[in-house]
Amino acid sequence: VTTLRARAFPEAAVRARARLGAACALPDPEEYGRALFGFDPDQACAAPGDPIDELRLVPPVFVPGRLEKLLELTREPVYRDVRLDSTVGGLRSTLPLYLSAFGSTEAASVDLGLAASRQAGRLGIPMVVGENVTPVSGYGRIEEDTERSLLGRISAYAEHALDGHGGVVVQQSTEDADAEVWNLVYSDPNTQALLESGRLAFELKVGQGAKPGLGGMTLLSAPAAAKLAEVFTIDPVFGGGSDVVLRCSSPGTFTEEILRQQIRLMRNNYPRAGIWVKLPPARDIREAALVAWEAGADAVTVDGAEGGTGWAPVAFLQHVGLPLAECLRRLCGHPGCLLVSGRMWEGARVTKCLALGANAAGLGRAALIAVDTDAENGLVNLVECLSLELQMMTSALGKYHVSALATEDLWSPGAWLTGARRE
Amino acid sequence: MTQIDLTPASGPAFPASPREHLSSPVIRSALRIQTRMLTAARDYLTDQGFFELLPPIIGPVTDPGARGAKQVDVDYYGHRYKLMTSAILYKQASLIAFDKIFCIAPNVRLEPLETARTDRHLAEFHQIDVEVANASREDIMTLAEGLVGHVARQVIEHLPDELDRLGRDTSLFAGLLAGSFERRSHADAVADLHDLGHDQSPDAEINWAGEAMLSRKASKPFFITDYPKGSRGFYDKESPDRPGYLRNFDLIAPEGYGEMCSGSEREHDYATIISRIRETGENPAKYGWYLQMLREGIPGSAGFGIGLERFTRYIAGLDSVWQASAYPKIPGVASP
Repeated sequence: VTTLRARAFPEAAVRARARLGAACALPDPEEYGRALFGFDPDQACAAPGDPIDELRLVPPVFVPGRLEKLLELTREPVYRDVRLDSTVGGLRSTLPLYLSAFGSTEAASVDLGLAASRQAGRLGIPMVVGENVTPVSGYGRIEEDTERSLLGRISAYAEHALDGHGGVVVQQSTEDADAEVWNLVYSDPNTQALLESGRLAFELKVGQGAKPGLGGMTLLSAPAAAKLAEVFTIDPVFGGGSDVVLRCSSPGTFTEEILRQQIRLMRNNYPRAGIWVKLPPARDIREAALVAWEAGADAVTVDGAEGGTGWAPVAFLQHVGLPLAECLRRLCGHPGCLLVSGRMWEGARVTKCLALGANAAGLGRAALIAVDTDAENGLVNLVECLSLELQMMTSALGKYHVSALATEDLWSPGAWLTGARRE
Repeated sequence: MTQIDLTPASGPAFPASPREHLSSPVIRSALRIQTRMLTAARDYLTDQGFFELLPPIIGPVTDPGARGAKQVDVDYYGHRYKLMTSAILYKQASLIAFDKIFCIAPNVRLEPLETARTDRHLAEFHQIDVEVANASREDIMTLAEGLVGHVARQVIEHLPDELDRLGRDTSLFAGLLAGSFERRSHADAVADLHDLGHDQSPDAEINWAGEAMLSRKASKPFFITDYPKGSRGFYDKESPDRPGYLRNFDLIAPEGYGEMCSGSEREHDYATIISRIRETGENPAKYGWYLQMLREGIPGSAGFGIGLERFTRYIAGLDSVWQASAYPKIPGVASP
């Protein structure tokens, strides 16, 4: 029985892909030769007013990149010749994709988290584990309920991981520092195989897309919340009659110097782990990202305001934070590895984000819905379809590695794109 | 579960049992030397007017400045308490009572597993911890120099047979006994390592391999000063003249024995400490009692902690630091 709901997200389309895989990149074969096709606004699954959805990918006639590939292959290249392997925040990945942290959903659903971990491992893409998991569900080394825990997620990933690819990225934010998640993971015998193969990274969570300026939020039963009251703010916002209370993290206080030194300390304390920094879609996104890269971050992840698997105040979802498109525009010409998330589920949006300067895209809600649809293969199927689209679009643009995508591959109906052009 | 590789780089293999360990003539000599060192340290400090304080073993917070090591949580009547990783916060607070204090403090740090083969790390160890109110870094480095010299002299004078039994060449202590250790800045140490072709970040701690290289080149102990801010705990004072650098130091033993003491002038300004706590990624809330004391005022100070087992290893010339402990805990190894 599937219970997960994702309003404001093309849930049905994602579920179809999770079931059918690459076939969904094309119209229903039953209709082949019987129906006429063209642009169908109802099929677009676009969010009104989203500048990324409004961009079009524009293939050229003259394709020197294809000539180069032809010389290499000694035959005409086709879309399956497009290479997708990428370096994602210092980790070797089969695709320019990673599994985003699931926020509060992660704490609430053990099975989905484990299913997503196994499939991300099989796919050879990095997986980010949310900061909520350890404080709420424990680490899992001594506790009996190992499956719920952070170690449960890491083990599920590692057991299925594709050799030499992917990696696990463990988040920590201000309050979680009390649980010393990174120290724990870094010194744990269970994670040594990942560490020694260069597949462990830590993500400093500065903020998130769904509620920039606020810390993490989860709903807890009143007795569970009482245990955490020393560390987190517990807000009985639903009134005395309710069984649940709101558990809030603080967003944490950052200045340029605080961010710089936190990253340096991470580099100092965990010299063998990768360092990622997750930023909210904030108005000073460019300044913050530059500080992070300069201080030694292997990746900056930016969650657009349209992103977010988790729980956020209604007003924040509607009114707070920059859209991903604007974040990408402000970050154009950036010097580091940029990872983006927010409404990623199919190939076109990912292709456009790569062309706008991102190095990889994170799957959040789409991954959750996919594994909710099919716990064995849902995410693998979804990604298979996405990858095919990515290959078709990239080859149409006359390019044969996704890293070659650039703003020249895009056209915008308005003037928006002119600010995002890269030299 | 991953097996920890304890294949010794050089020295003897880790003992199979406590009986084997405690029966070893090498261990017995090392522990005799260590006892003498403790007596000598206590005498030296007490003669200079220091007060020996027994430090706490658990508390709501402990020193977070320990390079990736995990603290040990203790369920204290439902509150998350920690075993001390160092007594630093309590040393600062104790200056309310006495101006010059020292402790022989037990510490537990669940170090990253890569430290199992450095020959210098134990998960459980002791420090000769010293703190002096209103002292400068120079004052406290001079004290460390004097203390190390005195302890070494006492062992050489009183336990020549033990040192002989361990095959320790005491002529190698000539430099130490002459006093006055070299002071070298972190930036210079980094430059030295770069000259040796070693990869060392200028923004971080000297890494284990680099430290061993510098130590092997030296014939007497030396100080490395002015570490960059992102490499140490929030309580090391930032230099007012050189922002981004700390008024701190490490004391490095020669002959490849490596670091055996860290110290600094301490930060004690409430607002500065709050910012520094954030710079180290910590949540200020859990430091409530300490911050309240800072707010009400504690004296400025300087201090250091000498790793007793490391110091013993150096004086006794032991292959590995675990030989300086009766019940050694090598990181990652479940031992009694």
